[in-house]
Order: sequence, then structure tokens, then C-alpha cells
Amino acid sequence: MNGLAIDLRGVGKKYKFFSLDRIHLQVPEGQIMGLIGPNGAGKSTTIRILMGLVHQDCGEAIVLGRRMPEEQIPAKWDIGFASEDMRLYDAMTVAWHLQFIASMYPGWDRAYAQLLLKRFGLQAEQVVRGLSHGQRVKAMLLLVLARKPKLLVLDEPTTGLDPVARHEVLRELTAVMKDEGRTILFSSHNTQDVEQISDTITFIDRGRIIDSMDKEMYLDRWRRLRLEVPSGERLPALPGIIGVRQEGRLAILTANAFEPGLANEYESRGARVQAIETMTLEEIFVANVERSRVDCGEEVEA
Amino acid sequence: MTRSVTWDLVKKDWWLYRLHIVISTAAGVAALGLCFRGGEVAGVIGGVWIFTALVIVACMLPVSAIVNERKKQHLPFVMSLPVSVREYTAAKLVSSVGMFLMPWLVLVVATVALIEVRGFLPKGSIPFAVIVLLLPFVGFCLITGSALVGESEGWTIAATVACNSSYWLAWFLIARTPGLMNLAKGHTAVWNGQLLWIVAAELGVIAGTLALTFFLQSRKRDFV
Repeated sequence: MNGLAIDLRGVGKKYKFFSLDRIHLQVPEGQIMGLIGPNGAGKSTTIRILMGLVHQDCGEAIVLGRRMPEEQIPAKWDIGFASEDMRLYDAMTVAWHLQFIASMYPGWDRAYAQLLLKRFGLQAEQVVRGLSHGQRVKAMLLLVLARKPKLLVLDEPTTGLDPVARHEVLRELTAVMKDEGRTILFSSHNTQDVEQISDTITFIDRGRIIDSMDKEMYLDRWRRLRLEVPSGERLPALPGIIGVRQEGRLAILTANAFEPGLANEYESRGARVQAIETMTLEEIFVANVERSRVDCGEEVEA
Repeated sequence: MTRSVTWDLVKKDWWLYRLHIVISTAAGVAALGLCFRGGEVAGVIGGVWIFTALVIVACMLPVSAIVNERKKQHLPFVMSLPVSVREYTAAKLVSSVGMFLMPWLVLVVATVALIEVRGFLPKGSIPFAVIVLLLPFVGFCLITGSALVGESEGWTIAATVACNSSYWLAWFLIARTPGLMNLAKGHTAVWNGQLLWIVAAELGVIAGTLALTFFLQSRKRDFV
């Protein structure tokens, strides 16, 4: 293995109404990557390809040093996968599921499973049918975490959870992250969840990876500048500025490579800097998607 | 880690659907009990019940174990385990055929034994009983193959309707085959070439359907 837990090179998949466009995605071992994209962006397709459930039309998918889908069986022994569309057997108890998985995985950690049962407020004898959505997600995560996988792949695990359940799930994932050898790929359209646990963030939209960077770097480099412009002037987009929105004398600029010199440059052109604001991950995500769509020649509503 | 989880998946299915097997076997045995009481009417009603019990199992099992597993989204959970489509298919075929064979074998053996021992039908009818009871097995394999390959409730219902309406046509064709019905009235079971050919055709369809299902599943590029 070359130090990469996930290595997708030029992976493409064509459907009738959607294409995954030869994406490249590398996740080093021990990293926690958040995969953010709107609904239908290609997050689940990407994850299904790297789990071997969908065969790519082109490119190479290597997970934990194994080629997918050909070597999915040995690879899956070390992958814990949970997705939003995954359901346990509703007529069976949590205990039955624990036993079912424990009987297969020699590395199953019984003590940790019991601890998680307690932390998640689950009763082993509860029938899955009687669990709330949040409890089902927690039971699913328990089954995945107690196997002690090298790679955790979580496809929108917090979707539909109430705030308390979401907090509990994210807290447990944060605890899991203390094991530095473990890699996590966490997909979501909820930027708050991703921001909370990820080191690196990748944005995906309409089947294309539009940006991928260290989380702190995103937060450092992205800024919103509010400028007052002399009347009749139009501000140019200098290098590092990806969006200019101007109404009358007020201009709002979005920078993806901000440095203090940028503000000075606009001031030297007669503009007055009113504010330089940091951006939330959600705002960075939306700005990134809009820029990507403009680059593709699509119209984006202001 | 190289251990195969196929057998774990087979055991899982047998445990999950154990009630189907117990109930259908019990229903078949109850029908046999009716035959055992003696009399032509009881024998005919019992025989129809045995056949019906097998037809119901042949329809119910693929729907519960295959269609519902996909419909209720248990399939992504199963496929998250160290298993490929090929292994999943092998496990499904082994578990489903195994589950079907439990009531089927009990009822076939019991029916043959009943004719042999109790004599409520002439012994010449034994080959016909075997041929008729093989029909739900053929239907079961066709429905199971459709459920796995078609991946939809629609295809499974279509296969079920086609199979269920074909049983009566098969009965009719067997009954109308010149010379065969005379053998059924005989005092000894005679397996002539024609009867053996029918049994071979039934077994051929069973083996062919299972092999084709496995082949088509193995070639799938998108599974979940």
C-alpha cells in the first residue's frame, strides 16, 4: 500500500441521467475526509464504487491496497460501511444482529460493543422494528464500529437524525478518530457535521470533484469582502477572487485565496473596504458549487 | 482474512425464514394426514393440498428472502459484509433451494410412501406423483431466478403468475399423453422412457435455471 487508504484515479461511471466524470480522490491512511455534495452530486455512486457494489466504467479504484471491485472480499474485511439507505432486519433483535456480525468477524470487540450499547441507550433485546430512526442508525454504527475496521465509510449517516441523536453519533465518531490509524470517509450534504469531524474536505457536484483541501486551509483562505465602490465603477475580479456581486456602490467579493494584499489592491483602485468576513463551510461549499457551475457555462441565480 | 461468509449468509436465511418452512411442512403433513384417512375424495383433496402447499412455498420464499430483502433495504447491509455479488448469489441459491427442499422432500417421500404402503392410489401412479410434485420445484427455481436477476417485485410477480398458470397446463398435457395414464392405473410403478424423459426435462430446467441465474448475476456491474 502506498500510504493511501483510498485511491481513485480517473474513475467514471455513466448512467442515463448522471455521469461520474473521471474523478480522482486520494485519502491517506489515518485521515478523516468529509465528502460534501448536494443531493445527486455523486457521493453515493463514488462510495458504491469504492465498496465494489458498482463497477466503474473507467479508471482505477484501489481501497486499502486492493483493486475494486475485483478484490472487494478481502478489502471489505477491513472496511466498516454504513449508509443512510441501509436497514437492519426489522423482525430481529439488536442482540441477534450483534451475534450475526460477531460470529463472522474474529476481531469483534465484545466489550466495546457493550459499551456502545450503553452509550447509545440501546437495549440488546429490542426488536429493530420497535426502534426509532436514530436508534437504528446507532445500532448500525455499533455493528460497524465494534468490528474495529481500518477504514470507515459512512454515507450520510446523520441524515434524518434529531439533534440529540446526531450529537451522540458525532461524539462517538469523534472518539473513534482518536485511533490515528483509522481512516474515515464521511459523506454528507450537512456541512456542519462534516466540519465537526473532518481533517480534509472534498466538494463534489454533478459528478465532478470541484475542490479538495485541508479543512483549516478552506477556512483560512476563503473570505467575503464587502467594498464600497465609487459610483459608476465596476470592480474587476483580481486573482484569488472567484465571485463579484455588485449592486450600485456596494460590492461583495468572494475570495478563495485571500491575502491581505488583495484588500489593498482594491483600495488602490478607489474602493473602500467595509468588512472582511470569514466564511462558514456551508458558504464556502455553496460558493464553490456556484463557481463550478459557472465554469461549466451554467447560469447561477444571484 | 480469506474465510468465506457464504455459509453464514445461508444460516442467516434459514433462521430468518424458519417459520415459512415449518408452517408449509406442517400444512403438507396435515394434507398427507387427510390422504391417510383413506377414501378417494380425501385422497384427492389431500393431494391437491399437498400440491398447493408446495406452490405457496415456491411463491412465498423468493418474495420473502429475495424481493423483500431488496425492497426493505436489507441488501446494502448484507453487501457491506465481505461478500461479492457472486458469493451473495451462491448463498441465496443454496439457502433458498435448501429451504424449499425441506418441505418438498418430506412431502415427496411421504406421498410415495403413502401410495406404496396405504395403497390409496394404484402403485402405477408413483411416477406421476413424482412428476407432478417436481412441477412446483421447477416453478420455484424460475421464480427465484427472476427475483434475483430481475431485482424487482414486478418481474417476480410476472414469473409467479406464469408458473402458477402453467402448472395446470402441464397437468393437462401429462394427462393427455397417449398411454401414460394407463400406466398410472397399473399395480406396479413403471418408469418407461417417456416418463424418464419428462423427469429429466424437469431436472434439466431446474439445473439450467439455477446455472443461468448464477451466470447472469455474476456478470452484473451494478448491484445495490
